[in-house]
Amino acid sequence: MYFPYFITYMAVGFAISLAVFLWALDRGQFRDQRRARFLPLEGTPAPPPAKLSRKGRIEAGGLFALACCGLAASASVIVFALTHGR
Amino acid sequence: MSTAEDSISHGNQTAKAFTLTSALWFAFATTFGMIAAGYLVAPDFMANIEYIQFGRMRPMHVNAVLFGFVTPGLLAAAFYYLPRLMKTRLYSEKLGVFSAVFWNLTVAAGMVGVSMGYSQGREYAELPWVVDILVVISFSLVIANFLLTIRRRTEPILYVSIWYAAAAVVLTACTYCLGNVIWKPDTGALAGIPDAILLWFYGHNVFGLLLSPMALGVAYYVLPIATRSPLYSHTLSLLGFWSLIVVYTHIGTHHLLQVPVPTWLKTISIVDSVAMVIPVMVFLINIWYTVKGKLGDVHADIGAKFVFTGTIYYFFVNIQGSMMALPDVQRITHYNNWVVAHAHIGVLGFAGVTALGGLYFILPRITGKPLHSTFLADLQYWLVLIGITGFGIVLTIVGLIQGQAWYNGETLYRTLPEIQPYYITRLSLGILIMTGAYIGLYNVIRSLYFNRGATS
Repeated sequence: MYFPYFITYMAVGFAISLAVFLWALDRGQFRDQRRARFLPLEGTPAPPPAKLSRKGRIEAGGLFALACCGLAASASVIVFALTHGR
Repeated sequence: MSTAEDSISHGNQTAKAFTLTSALWFAFATTFGMIAAGYLVAPDFMANIEYIQFGRMRPMHVNAVLFGFVTPGLLAAAFYYLPRLMKTRLYSEKLGVFSAVFWNLTVAAGMVGVSMGYSQGREYAELPWVVDILVVISFSLVIANFLLTIRRRTEPILYVSIWYAAAAVVLTACTYCLGNVIWKPDTGALAGIPDAILLWFYGHNVFGLLLSPMALGVAYYVLPIATRSPLYSHTLSLLGFWSLIVVYTHIGTHHLLQVPVPTWLKTISIVDSVAMVIPVMVFLINIWYTVKGKLGDVHADIGAKFVFTGTIYYFFVNIQGSMMALPDVQRITHYNNWVVAHAHIGVLGFAGVTALGGLYFILPRITGKPLHSTFLADLQYWLVLIGITGFGIVLTIVGLIQGQAWYNGETLYRTLPEIQPYYITRLSLGILIMTGAYIGLYNVIRSLYFNRGATS
């Protein structure tokens, strides 16, 4: 018997969705859609400007070197496997 | 920060906790993935250590990505934008922080359990029963905070991101219980085909009803702000939301087209899979029209850049998904690495990249200081982008080789030498993604706790 689980799942999902949709309709969630477009822009603080320090640049350089090591490791895996892998 | 912002933010402790959670588990999850990929190149690679053999490493990788990295990343953004869009405070920051701590303990318990061999052996649902319960409790804590915040809102209209975030956590809590057969603690499974049907409802819905809606919610919030443009159409966005809810819930059986599942169920899954084009294109048209002519602004904000890239991957993964549900296509693409490519493009390329975008977008806002290093975030962007694009290409090629071989009756072992170079390339690309994850973790920790930038 496979279907009781599936039917239950579909029925519960449908019932919850329908109930929420009717709630939204009743509460006017589909009105005033023009204003809704602007909601993210209301009262959004701008992020502070970026600032670079000497120490920060050194750290960034070090981690860039780490990333280069990652790239080099990737390349060496390919080269080694292709030349010695068989 | 402004007084209005202060009255809402209340320290943003929950968003910070989930941000750190996501960055931390991204590093762990990619490490697990790397070890698993190592086994595919060299099967004896660390195979004598039982806790990290391939059969345990793969589910650890999958579950760590799903519940450790992507979901918390998207939740961090949601915990940031929910109060702002509803012009109220989060119902409880204490509950939020507790839920983040509980969430981490749950994921850690899952990893330890699977590594010790306590697995239910069902793909994507491997976590043992005790951890299943913890996962449901974790979601319940988030649901309570979300719904009670919605209840105390002062903004009457619910922006589409709120619909997506709330639906994602509520539906996933239900799907998780059902898909993990939580009422059978001894096995966590039914028997035979009914179990496969339930499992794939869960397996597909955990992406389609958790990661997708959460990520779409983030995109609908981040991109209008980054480009300082109102959403192209809120009505269209709600159409996309409701069509996603109706269509996505029934498509899991398209994973089972080649097994003896009732035909009517297969038909529903195929029709709904193709119908997914509707919510996907509704979203993409809406969001791309919103940022039209403002790609410079998207490029200037590292968070928005991640999120916009996620929308492009969303296009690819969904077009691919609709095609793959067609039986004639699936004869070649199923049971091979094509599906693995598809899963990586969806989970990392779309949802994961969007989660990273959400994190980088909110980080300067929740700390009140600039990101520790935009350069490092940019570096991570390129490492992840190159890695996931390479994954997509390499694994798709492997999938086609394997698919053609099976279709023509070729035996498995004869294809192995042919696909080995691709597995090696995949491993090397994985190193890029893992390196990006660790750079991201460093950047997040510095931005959260050791940030000397000027306070706004």
